[in-house]
Amino acid sequence: MRNILIIARRDLRAQFNSPVAYVVVGGALLLIGVMFFMIPRMAGGFFVSFWDVDRASMDQLFEYLPLVLSLFVIPAVTMRTLAAEKGSGTLELLITMPVRDSEVILGKYIAACATVCILLAGTLLYPIAMFTWPWHLGSLDWGPVWSGYLGCALFSLAGVALGMMLSSVTESDVIAFFMTSGVLCVLYAVGWMVSVLPGGLGDAIGFVSFQTRYQAFARGLIDTRAVIYFLSVAIVCLLVSFRSLESRKWS
Amino acid sequence: MSNDVMIYANDLSKSFGSFKALDQINFEVRRGEIVGFLGPNGAGKSTTMRILTCFISPTGGVARVNGHDVFDEPLQVRESLGYLPQRAPLYLEMSVLEYLRFAADLRHLDDSVFRKRAKSVVEVCGLAQVLGKEIRHLSHGYRQRVGLAQALIHDPPILILDEPTSDLDPNEKAEFLDYLKQIGQERTVLLSTHNLAEVEASCGRAIIVSRGRIVADGPLDEIRAKSGRVRYVVSVQEAVDGAAYRGRGTPPKKAEVEEALGKVPGVKRVGEIRTDERAHAYELVSEQEVDLRPEVFKLIVDRGWVLLELHRDSQTLEDVFRSLTIGDERRNRQLGASADGPADEEDDDDDEEGDDEEAAAAPSGHDEKVAKDDRS
Repeated sequence: MRNILIIARRDLRAQFNSPVAYVVVGGALLLIGVMFFMIPRMAGGFFVSFWDVDRASMDQLFEYLPLVLSLFVIPAVTMRTLAAEKGSGTLELLITMPVRDSEVILGKYIAACATVCILLAGTLLYPIAMFTWPWHLGSLDWGPVWSGYLGCALFSLAGVALGMMLSSVTESDVIAFFMTSGVLCVLYAVGWMVSVLPGGLGDAIGFVSFQTRYQAFARGLIDTRAVIYFLSVAIVCLLVSFRSLESRKWS
Repeated sequence: MSNDVMIYANDLSKSFGSFKALDQINFEVRRGEIVGFLGPNGAGKSTTMRILTCFISPTGGVARVNGHDVFDEPLQVRESLGYLPQRAPLYLEMSVLEYLRFAADLRHLDDSVFRKRAKSVVEVCGLAQVLGKEIRHLSHGYRQRVGLAQALIHDPPILILDEPTSDLDPNEKAEFLDYLKQIGQERTVLLSTHNLAEVEASCGRAIIVSRGRIVADGPLDEIRAKSGRVRYVVSVQEAVDGAAYRGRGTPPKKAEVEEALGKVPGVKRVGEIRTDERAHAYELVSEQEVDLRPEVFKLIVDRGWVLLELHRDSQTLEDVFRSLTIGDERRNRQLGASADGPADEEDDDDDEEGDDEEAAAAPSGHDEKVAKDDRS
């Protein structure tokens, strides 16, 4: 346990000692800001922006947050976790310390999740600034906001684990970035096809899609099936990355 | 006695696919030994070290470090050793001090212990000037020192160093080897290198590997003798310049000396080494393990010559190394062509056999014989 925290702390510090974390968090906040205020989204057959809705609602934020997370934030945070260490050889020094492989994986996972959570915490500025201080655009119902954040957090737990898994199978962080970004976007975007596709196929896609699982949270519903789904994805991906790290012994 | 065996490898093998990186190697390293691990590139040095540090697993055999098996107790194995991988891969974005603290944390050193150890390690590795610097800004020599420092931070009983001196300048190398000798008295050090002079300077024993096999293992003198050729250098004064000749009679002629040396029992060949006009140096090559120096000395005394120099050549480790490993290199180069050859032939054999069976023309006894041959 102690080793996990030491590794997590080192990784987190490494992210914030280099420009990566600042670029990712800052860039993501900027992107979310632009999308939140300016880009209208499709709702009920109309394009509506935050200002058009005329309701004290953060729907807009929770519509875009998972997209920014899967396109940009999670891949950028996870790409270096294992791929870069394998590429540069630092993994050899780390692993030959008296640490278990599982501790390395978990330490890195915690560090990556923490970075994403820092970003999520940063986005709290929007509801606070709009609805409590300095502006009061209306009385916001905080329930769905918290459940939305819970959804995003679970989404990130699964996404980061998936990113780490993909990072563990390559030695190039660029490849890790695009693979993670691609897989997460596909998992998210297939959710839009559920209503178009016929019965069984639509259900099957709805089952695996991150979007259908996440949507309930955005509407203020905590769906235990979705909680379990995201957590299982995270656990499976972590197990696979653990195995893939271990496989170096036998290759 | 067996308690003192710090590193033990028995029939250790490692294959990467069909390539045998290590082929059943056996060796032991005892406490207080500094062992040089020598071999050409790709001979299996790093692979052995990675197995001993539990970074990779062997495909066969047993390896024990400090009494712990690398399969069953990897954590205990790693706790008892300090490891410097090739080219010292460090986290570039950390400062030297941060890195040392990280290494100490992972080895669960207390803060007070860390301070004490860090102080001595920093002094030994000459890192005082760069403690606050980020590792990315350091030269390779300094990175190697940091790598060494992290391997020493917990004062391990066993050190495994993979080419620790490759990026150091000659002064640093000498300093490092001195230090190694100093700490090697109560520790076990296994270091790999290409540089034979380093082995001579610091190691009492060398293990030479080539193509995944140990081709020589033992004290340096033994290994030198193993080449079957020992080289002696003799130089005899043959002319005097003004000053009185201290030998009996007149200085000998070149031919005379050469002939006399050639007659010493055990000498296979006498060669001349060019020096200056007044003396002649000769290279004697012997194929016996008997020391020729007494005979040579006696000969010179009997003739009343003036002996200027007589020694067994210390450079021969290089010759030994080359004679033990150079054939492999040549084979390596040929492998590209020949590896395809036999594979193709095998395929052809299979096809022929298949044809035979289809046609059922050959007698069954013949078929069996072919199959047997293939199996063997």
